[in-house]
Amino acid sequence: MAKRGFSGVVMRGYGARDHEVTVVGRESLAPHFVRLRLSSPTLFQDAIAVPTAWLRFWFPDPDGGESEHQRAYTISSADETIGEFTIDMVLHEPAGPASLWAKRAEPGWTIMATSLGSSKFDVPDEPPAGYLLIGDSASIPAINSILGVVPADVPIEVYLEQHDAADRLIPLTPHPRARTHWVPRQGPASLAAAIEARDWSDWYTWAGPESGSLKHLRTRLRDEFGFPKSELYAQAYWYYGRTFGKRRGTPEPEPEPAIAPEPAIAPEPAAAPEPAPAAPSGRAVRGAWRAQGAGRLLAPLRRTLILSGALQAVVTLVQLAPFVLLVELARQMLAGAARSTLWTLGGWALGLVGAGTLLGGALTLWLHAVDARFARDLRQRLLGKLARMPLGWFTIRGSGHVKQVVRDDTLALHYLVTHAVPDAVAAVVAPVAVLAYLFVVDWRIALALFLPVLVYVMTTAVMVVQSGARTSLASRWSERMNREAGAYLEGQPVIRVFGGAAASAFRARLDEYIGFLGDWQRPFTGKKTLMDLATRPATFLLLIAFLGTWLISSGAMDPVSLLPFLLLGTTFGARLLGIGYGLSGLRTGMLAARRIQTTLDESELQVHAGPARVAADAPGTVVFDRVGFAYRPGVPVIDGVSIVLRPGTLTALVGPSGSGKSTLAALLARFHDVGTGAIRVGGRDVRDLTADELYAQVGFVFQQTQLVHATVHDNIALAVPGAARERVEAAARAAHLHERILRLPHGYDTVLGPDAALSGGERQRLTIARAILADPTVLVLDEATAFADPESEYSVQQALNQLTAGRTVLVIAHRLHTITGADQIVVLDGGHVAEAGTHDELHAAGGRYRRLWDAGASRATAPEEATL
Amino acid sequence: MIRTLLQLLPAERRRMAAGHAALTVLGVALRAAGAVLLVPLVADLFGPDPGGAWPWLGLLAAVTAAGWAVDTTAARIGFDLGFALLDHGQHGIADRLTRVRLTWFTAEHTATARQAIATTGPDLVGLVIYLVTPVAGAVLLPVAVGLALLPICLPLGLAALAGVPVLLGAFWATRRIGRAAERTAEDANTALTERIVEFARTQPALRAARRAEPARGLVGAALAAQHGATVRLVLLQIPGQLLFGLASQAALVLLAGTTTALAVRGDLGVPEAIALIVVIARYLEAFAALGELTPGIETATTALRRIRAVRTAPTVSGERSKRPATAAGAPRIRLERVAFRYSDDGPRVLDGLDLTLDAGTTTAIVGPSGSGKSTVLALLAGLHEPTAGRVLVDGTDTAALGQDERGDLVSVVFQQPYLFDGSIRDNVLAGDPGAAEDRLGHAVALARVGEVTARLPDGERTAVGEAGTALSGGERQRVSIARALLKPAPILLVDEATSALDTENEAAVVQALADDTVARTRVIVAHRLGSIRHADRVVFLEDGRVVEDGTVDGLLAAGGRFADFWRQRQEATGWRVVTRQPAGDDS
Repeated sequence: MAKRGFSGVVMRGYGARDHEVTVVGRESLAPHFVRLRLSSPTLFQDAIAVPTAWLRFWFPDPDGGESEHQRAYTISSADETIGEFTIDMVLHEPAGPASLWAKRAEPGWTIMATSLGSSKFDVPDEPPAGYLLIGDSASIPAINSILGVVPADVPIEVYLEQHDAADRLIPLTPHPRARTHWVPRQGPASLAAAIEARDWSDWYTWAGPESGSLKHLRTRLRDEFGFPKSELYAQAYWYYGRTFGKRRGTPEPEPEPAIAPEPAIAPEPAAAPEPAPAAPSGRAVRGAWRAQGAGRLLAPLRRTLILSGALQAVVTLVQLAPFVLLVELARQMLAGAARSTLWTLGGWALGLVGAGTLLGGALTLWLHAVDARFARDLRQRLLGKLARMPLGWFTIRGSGHVKQVVRDDTLALHYLVTHAVPDAVAAVVAPVAVLAYLFVVDWRIALALFLPVLVYVMTTAVMVVQSGARTSLASRWSERMNREAGAYLEGQPVIRVFGGAAASAFRARLDEYIGFLGDWQRPFTGKKTLMDLATRPATFLLLIAFLGTWLISSGAMDPVSLLPFLLLGTTFGARLLGIGYGLSGLRTGMLAARRIQTTLDESELQVHAGPARVAADAPGTVVFDRVGFAYRPGVPVIDGVSIVLRPGTLTALVGPSGSGKSTLAALLARFHDVGTGAIRVGGRDVRDLTADELYAQVGFVFQQTQLVHATVHDNIALAVPGAARERVEAAARAAHLHERILRLPHGYDTVLGPDAALSGGERQRLTIARAILADPTVLVLDEATAFADPESEYSVQQALNQLTAGRTVLVIAHRLHTITGADQIVVLDGGHVAEAGTHDELHAAGGRYRRLWDAGASRATAPEEATL
Repeated sequence: MIRTLLQLLPAERRRMAAGHAALTVLGVALRAAGAVLLVPLVADLFGPDPGGAWPWLGLLAAVTAAGWAVDTTAARIGFDLGFALLDHGQHGIADRLTRVRLTWFTAEHTATARQAIATTGPDLVGLVIYLVTPVAGAVLLPVAVGLALLPICLPLGLAALAGVPVLLGAFWATRRIGRAAERTAEDANTALTERIVEFARTQPALRAARRAEPARGLVGAALAAQHGATVRLVLLQIPGQLLFGLASQAALVLLAGTTTALAVRGDLGVPEAIALIVVIARYLEAFAALGELTPGIETATTALRRIRAVRTAPTVSGERSKRPATAAGAPRIRLERVAFRYSDDGPRVLDGLDLTLDAGTTTAIVGPSGSGKSTVLALLAGLHEPTAGRVLVDGTDTAALGQDERGDLVSVVFQQPYLFDGSIRDNVLAGDPGAAEDRLGHAVALARVGEVTARLPDGERTAVGEAGTALSGGERQRVSIARALLKPAPILLVDEATSALDTENEAAVVQALADDTVARTRVIVAHRLGSIRHADRVVFLEDGRVVEDGTVDGLLAAGGRFADFWRQRQEATGWRVVTRQPAGDDS
């Protein structure tokens, strides 16, 4: 076995396994940057190739010595099934062990690699505002893997420290919104200074530069820009001033490989090939992060929570008091105290028990009352917020998200306020108080109590390291099984008709999952048992009894001093380990608080306060005036669209899915506000109108129907609350729904719900009746509405005919034949107007519309998923 | 719960479970012995000759070490049992699910079943070792300590034993009250937030109707009114949650008081009394441990409850027997006074339906939504069993057939064409895994799957993704048709997709069914005129009854409900959006 020094021993202690890796190919990506294709049949039993994941390699000693040198390299690509992967290495001159090896490595060479500890990069469901990636040639492989997974619409700023002119030749993974800045190194502070001073609110930073640069970076990012800890991943990838071999790609400082005494070579900073960019001008703004939202939400409760924590601390101490009294009791008994003294002690004990219980109960009651008030205010704030947010917020998020925030997160907050804080305080105070007490009584035995705890902590550490990526893989598995189980259940009818073959894929997956759980957990059974045995009271008892007997029999301790240990010391381990559990409740609550605050921070639709922007449009005219819109800055969905809708005409929006037709229509209904340009209704900018003013003129019927929990009458008369029954009935007749309503248990007075449910087509007709009664002059319509349900298509279409008659209509068209009668057809492509005209004109013009039409003759475009 | 647990274990492991239980008891006994050994040990330490404690310490060390050894063995068996539970339990559920009646799968049950498969795995592994063993230990240890105290100090031993049911009762009550309080808080929260969720859900409608602000006021007022009531409800639950804490503290004081009193009366030596107080603390420790296990107990009970829900769900009748399919040629199918409802208290979807489908014919079932078309199809497919009446295939009651035999009779094109994660070829082959290459090619050609695979880089070896999501709806439909055609079943059932397929796909579906040469009796729930056109016979269903029955032309000539339907469908296909002239209204 080659010498691997201390870190080798540590890694073996952690149970690291060596895998033999064979070079199968090499490719030069830049003069000093080589990509090695490697293969190992067994490596991926341990390793998981996720973005930024790395492996440790043991390189031979360049001087032919016994020792091996550990360096870590990012997996730049991998095919786990066949065990092939690539790593990218920087070649240095003069070369250290890794560079030297890489320089000469040829197919057929082998090397040992270990997967132990690694990192992974995940894009969360709701990505940050942007990614700030910082590094240099050593971390480019990791940065490349990040660039490969960040969604195309998320902006990325890449800052790379340049040490060598050739660094710029290293290929970077392309990303449509990434901007790269090369910063020639002038010292440890130059990289940090080069980061643009701007508002980095809600950005996430991933930094893998040289250690010295990192120190300065950290300071600047945290102190100047205000990056919270949770939004900043920082890891030194190498150390300046050590050997070149060491310098590249050792992504973590902790297990130091034994390096043969090579001269430390401090490379001269590469001569700056261009004038060094001064720190970009602009003022640094301390940003605000969603991640910090929880603190703001809970700010009004701060004092209450602190006070409750303090009270809980008292309660916890009172609950421990009887044990102290028992020690006192023993002391008095040994001293042969009078009976009355003992009775007094008993009285005290009973009194304290009563007081502790009362105080604890009162605290809980008080917190519940506080929480109830807070929750009520919070719900009122949420209500207010929901009423003023852009409608698009709801359609983008979906009802699941709203439920999560409004129902689940408020409940989580209830536990945070009423239980989590006291639990956490109790979990911390109890062991600390016990420990302090025991140390005061006898520090020797108290110190010994840490022995089993140490065993526990070290075993846990080994397990955490050995689990490595499996921990996160486990949650990925569980998500995946949840999806697959859902599909398996959904597919039950198919499985029953087609039998085993149809179910075999799921069975195979289930076996894999069970296999994964087994492979992961089985090796730990022994360790888990050890942890349990080490921390159980019986073990502590033996430890205490042994030390006690020894100290007492040698006369080094008063026997009474042993009592506190026998009474409180045996559960010390359990108490100490309970801290983590007690604190976990806080985390869940804080996440919920953060989500609620994020919702409360969402921007609201503003009613423009300044002078009304009036244009001389004819009444009833709708004008899209150079309208632009983007969901994310820099990714326009609508760009410079100008359309005029004349009163009483039909305008159809046509285009492939993703062309922006649904978004454009939604803008008129003010689901979002335009980014540039304006939409005017009757000459007034829609942003100058209050919601009520706007919707008195503009109505919409989309695929999603929305019924409120009320009677049929009230549902139809939603916009005209006092409407007489005759008018409601007239609207229902026009919508071909009157007969159906009469068949409901209580006719128009039937409350809609699970017992009196309407079919999809009927719900559509009800919303159409509602729109007929509301009588807007402008109507936005999704044509797919007419084809929702084949059995009621005809009725819905007849109802739509009644609704559209005489109005200014903007229709999102999915089937071209339904809009051949339109007064104007606007063909959208990539957010621009490609063509506009009547059907005959566009058909004759032979442009994009013609192509869509010809394609549709054989294959009508399927209605796109409702993105509204 | 224990029974559910034992049922989940494979039979050969149940003996191991018994061994594990025995070792657990032994481990507890050793721990109790260790606790009681403290009496002479501590008494010596407090006595005149502390050195006399050494032998006792040696004994304590021996007992503790023996305990470690026993518990290590028990843990090894416990983990083994856990892994067996995982393997056997999970497969058991997956198997069981294929036999559970489809009507059982309500939204709630489906969610339960999904969780039973997807999330209970890790819980099952740790069930024995983290739950059964510690809970058993926590309950048995105080009893064992009490018993061990009897010879040393009878009154104290009796008091300790008497305390066990009291403390366990307090623990149980606290847990119950705590759970009830949690549920109350949750219900209260749901009540208070449901209206906000609804308010958010209906925002577009409310705003379009200019009602967002008034509705907000209404919801706000309703919430304020509800708030007081729910808060009172929650507050009432709190005192009960303190019961266990109070009981264990009181027990400490009382037992220690008893000991002191005995010492004061001279029945006990002072060192012995002190030693006994230490033993009492250890006795109470076990109950505290029980409290710490509560979250684990909750998780495990939930997991077991989910598994039990699946295990006790009603299953389809008939054995799993596998007899070779007997049906040869297209059969005659008869529904005899068939009634059906989805749940015991639900309305009858079908009530006394009589229908005969002649051998080799193609019947189109047509009717408004909710008329029971798909139910009839599901009954024919054997996916549901009639609540009353019989389904006869060539005179044989399908209820008398095994599940697999019934499955062999039918092939189905489902409305939602579920594909499993595999290649297109594998999915088609699911229809008949042993099919020869030419038959496979024929089915693929009929369903025009070739047009789909030609566009894909890997052709028919292309993976369809989870639940077929890598393919478009139309493409999935074609694969599912090929699968159905490949299956050599004498009955072919088609539930036509309601969502608008593109015209090309629509034609493909119609043509594939028309060109299928296998002798079958076919039934199609049809929405499109093209599909209905090919049927020998049309059955018009309304409210679960046959209202019209005849050939397409015959019914069209009769001018009844079907003729109306036909005309409306024709008009609907030519519909256009207009703003000028209101279209002719016929109602």
